[in-house]
Parts: sequence; structure tokens; C-alpha cells
Amino acid sequence: MKTLAVVITTPPYSHLTITALTYVEAALVAGINVIGVFFYQDGVMHANEDISIASDEYQAIAHWQRLQQQYQLPLHICITAAEKRGIACDAIDNDKINNAFTVSGLGELVELTTKASRLVQF
Amino acid sequence: MISIEQQSSSSAQANGLAIINSKAPFSSTHGKDALDIALIFGSFEQKVSLFFQGDGVYQLIADQDGSLLAIKDYLKTFSAFEFYDIEDIYVCQQSLSNRQLDENFHIDEVKVLSSIEFSAALNRHQHVLRF
Repeated sequence: MKTLAVVITTPPYSHLTITALTYVEAALVAGINVIGVFFYQDGVMHANEDISIASDEYQAIAHWQRLQQQYQLPLHICITAAEKRGIACDAIDNDKINNAFTVSGLGELVELTTKASRLVQF
Repeated sequence: MISIEQQSSSSAQANGLAIINSKAPFSSTHGKDALDIALIFGSFEQKVSLFFQGDGVYQLIADQDGSLLAIKDYLKTFSAFEFYDIEDIYVCQQSLSNRQLDENFHIDEVKVLSSIEFSAALNRHQHVLRF
């Protein structure tokens, strides 16, 4: 079975993230096995519990959460990129991290890349 | 006319990750972020190739010192590529000549490729990331 992994490098307030979310959801709806989303660079900011985007704007974080719950879609953040951006990851029950996200490292990206038939970066 | 045939046969053998570096070294962290991925793939013994294109070619040019700009000079780490078995390092000849840069690199084993060779080399990889 064909598998897809996705890399997100854009922050939650970027319009490019909307394209990424639309793409991922379309893949899930089409029944494609999305084995995981890896958040790198500014992409890790999606996991920041303190980010608040005006209610009349696109709620990227809420959409990732919804996809994670609805499809058990694994959402991995890169710990090094996250710590650099003030999202401390030293504790497992960290209230700064949105619990839809899993704290991972670049090793997880290696894992996803070797397992996926296709890797798509946004 | 033979290109389609060549492409399909090369993509059938496609393997490993290609990382395209397209940004100048010191104005953003893209180069360092790409390097971190390359080194991790190397340490997991996964095949990774590096491509330098556009302003990314500046990352290979010799005699630069990021520390003069108070930037940690990640370019120095390029010399460790052989320890990570990262051997396929390609640079776009057109990008160099557009910037009037000589083939004076700070690491050995850099292969200068024409645009056609560059895209053919890229096509041999299963996955591509761009920074």
C-alpha cells in the first residue's frame, strides 16, 4: 500500500499552511495512508499552546487537532526547532505543548522518510 | 526523445533522500536546518545527497567566516561529510556562472553539473526536501 509522509515548515499564521492542510485532508479523505506529519523549522509553532489567532482567521492549529483526532494522524514536532522557538519540551506533561502533537526528533523524520512511498514538503 | 524512457528507468531505481539547498548561508537558518537533516540521515546510515542551486551555491564557496557576523559557522561541519558517508554533493554550474563564482569550494568531492545533469541526478532520488 502506498504511504504518504508530510513535512510542514510554515507557521500557523502562514497562508501556505492552509494549502498544506487542504492537501493532507484531501489525502486522508481519499483513503491514502498518511503515516505522519513532521513539523520542522517554523512549522513547530503549531504545537505552541499559547498561540492565539483572531477568531475570524483560519484556525490552522484547530484543524491539525481535528485531523489528528478524526484519523489518528501522528503529528510530530522537532524538539530542537521547538526549543529554539520557546516551546520547552523537557517535561512530558508540558502545558506549553498542544497535546495533539508528539515531541520527536529528526530521527522520526528518517523513520517517516524510509517508510513512506512519497514525502511532500510544505 | 529518449528522455522519457531514461526518466522512467531512473525513477524505478530511485532511492534515498535529496536535499536541495537554495538559500545563501548566513541570512537565514535554512542551510543549518538542512545540514542537521543530512547529518541525521548519515548517522542512521540512510542514503542522502546534497544539491546546491540558486543562492545555495554560496554555501560551498571557500574562505567564508560566519563568525565575523557572529553567526556559528555551520559550513565548517561540511568537512565532516565523509564521516557520515555523505558522498554525493552536487552543485549547479549555471547557478555558479550566473553569480560569476569560480569552482573554488571549501570541501572536496563536489560535482559540478549542468542543469540537465543536475535534474537527472535529482530524479534518481525517491524523496526531495528543499531549504
